[in-house]
Amino acid sequence: MSVKIEASEGGMPHDKMLGIGVVGALVCLYIVYLNSLMSTDVFAFFGGLAAVIALWWGTDSIKTLCSYGLGTGVPSAGMISLGSGVIAFLFATKLAGISPLLVPLGCIIIAAIIGAILGFISDKVLNMNIPVMTRMIAELTIVGSLTMLGFTAMISGSFIFTDLIAGSVSFLGMVVTSYAASVIGGCILATIFMLGAIAIQHPFNACLGPNESWDRTQMCALECGFLSMLVVAVMSVAFLSLFAVVISFVISIILWGWSYSEYIKLSKRDAYAWLDSKPIREVGGE
Amino acid sequence: MSALGGGSSGGEGINPTASLIALVIVLIAVAVVFLVYPAATVPLIGVIIGGVLISFGVHFVPVGGAPAAMGQAPGIATGVAMLAAGGGLAGLFGGAWAAEFGIAISLAAGAIGGGLLMAITCLMVNVVYVFAMGIPAASGKVYKDPITGDVFPPYKSQGTEGHGLPFISYVGGVLGGLFGGMGGTLIYYELLQVYEEALPSFLGATTEGLTILAVSLAGIFAVGMFLVAAVLTAYNITGTIEGPHDPKFKRWPRAVIGSSAASAVCGLFAILLVVI
Repeated sequence: MSVKIEASEGGMPHDKMLGIGVVGALVCLYIVYLNSLMSTDVFAFFGGLAAVIALWWGTDSIKTLCSYGLGTGVPSAGMISLGSGVIAFLFATKLAGISPLLVPLGCIIIAAIIGAILGFISDKVLNMNIPVMTRMIAELTIVGSLTMLGFTAMISGSFIFTDLIAGSVSFLGMVVTSYAASVIGGCILATIFMLGAIAIQHPFNACLGPNESWDRTQMCALECGFLSMLVVAVMSVAFLSLFAVVISFVISIILWGWSYSEYIKLSKRDAYAWLDSKPIREVGGE
Repeated sequence: MSALGGGSSGGEGINPTASLIALVIVLIAVAVVFLVYPAATVPLIGVIIGGVLISFGVHFVPVGGAPAAMGQAPGIATGVAMLAAGGGLAGLFGGAWAAEFGIAISLAAGAIGGGLLMAITCLMVNVVYVFAMGIPAASGKVYKDPITGDVFPPYKSQGTEGHGLPFISYVGGVLGGLFGGMGGTLIYYELLQVYEEALPSFLGATTEGLTILAVSLAGIFAVGMFLVAAVLTAYNITGTIEGPHDPKFKRWPRAVIGSSAASAVCGLFAILLVVI
């Protein structure tokens, strides 16, 4: 049984963040489904917002888990989160064969099942004996799968398996269906995987320490999430109309700029002293 | 090397009840696949063996963490998850190229890829330790190197757990790379067989271009399962390990039990993907 060390005082209770994370991500993902209903793709950026909301919640889950001595680095929790999340996510996209509306909800349920089993294994079989381990690994798996689902929805405008495997290429004026030009066939998933993994493992790893504060860590999570969203918006050029891509890109860059400046402000607030170092000047000859 | 300074918590010994439950999970997963899609039973067992190979192999890799970067502990100066991902994924890519030549060559290519990456990493780590940091290789856990017979205490600095990368740790790193690369490739290869067989029937389409879909799906699932098995092993080791001579190495049975259950569950969902 390990001793818990309080990471930071104050802040929002974890249960409330869980609620906001799950409900917020679900609502955003269902808004993406409007794309299919209205035959458009301008709502794709809501997928990115869903991923960022999930990452915001997941950062606090990592913090709760790492308040106990894991013995290994914080990034490992991010890797298991996405590693198991991608399995739940891909399986959930197949549920669209029953009903497309099942996908986001099914994703959460399947991820919770896989995560609970993995959490049980690490807590009991591997004798970690950390009280919150089962719950937090389950939460992290859900976060990982929602991140994958959100970013995938943002890239392709859909989270239905049959849409994800079929792309179209224009060949001599004819549009041909091609599996290689799709999100899964083109292995865009590998890029999304790492973008999500970096965004979830970095914030607490960067901000931890005796001076860690809740709002700064969470702002770092938002900043990392929006940065990944920016890259995803660029990648969506291959699958969406130009109008939708521009909307995604502008929203991502505005939100990233806002979160970055807020994060710098909070870092200055928490710092003992702040030296605004100028670029290196050429001193010779003067 | 805990993030917040809390003591690492991994206890010794095996929890019999939990291990039994884990084995039951393995059996249930195999039974479910046998009932809904019998052709995938053998591939699922292959996936489980792959997960076991990964988790057994990671125990060989000398992981030093942050103390190693400061020359206060032996091993490579990074975390288990990163090292396992590096060695295993290099092996996985190597094996994936050779998948068309059959399982034996594919596994061999995967093992060589992982082992090669770890060999180069260990060599360069020692070059940096010896020629840049100026520290000799010495382990603090054993009196002398089990392979070369060199004694360590005269070379060990006071107040450290040893430093550098002794020969036994180097051998351990290469062995870990071999096992990890082979395990990752085995998961990939078995899933690829399932997808190549099942995708044309459930998509109701021509096989034209479906290979690339099978490769992508098997690849991303193999990466995910590899990371799951590697991180579970990292939790079992709780931070740092010097190699096969470290007392922590004796913890491998429970990581093998845990990883087999984890791979069984993940493999079950990966195979059910083509069934529903």
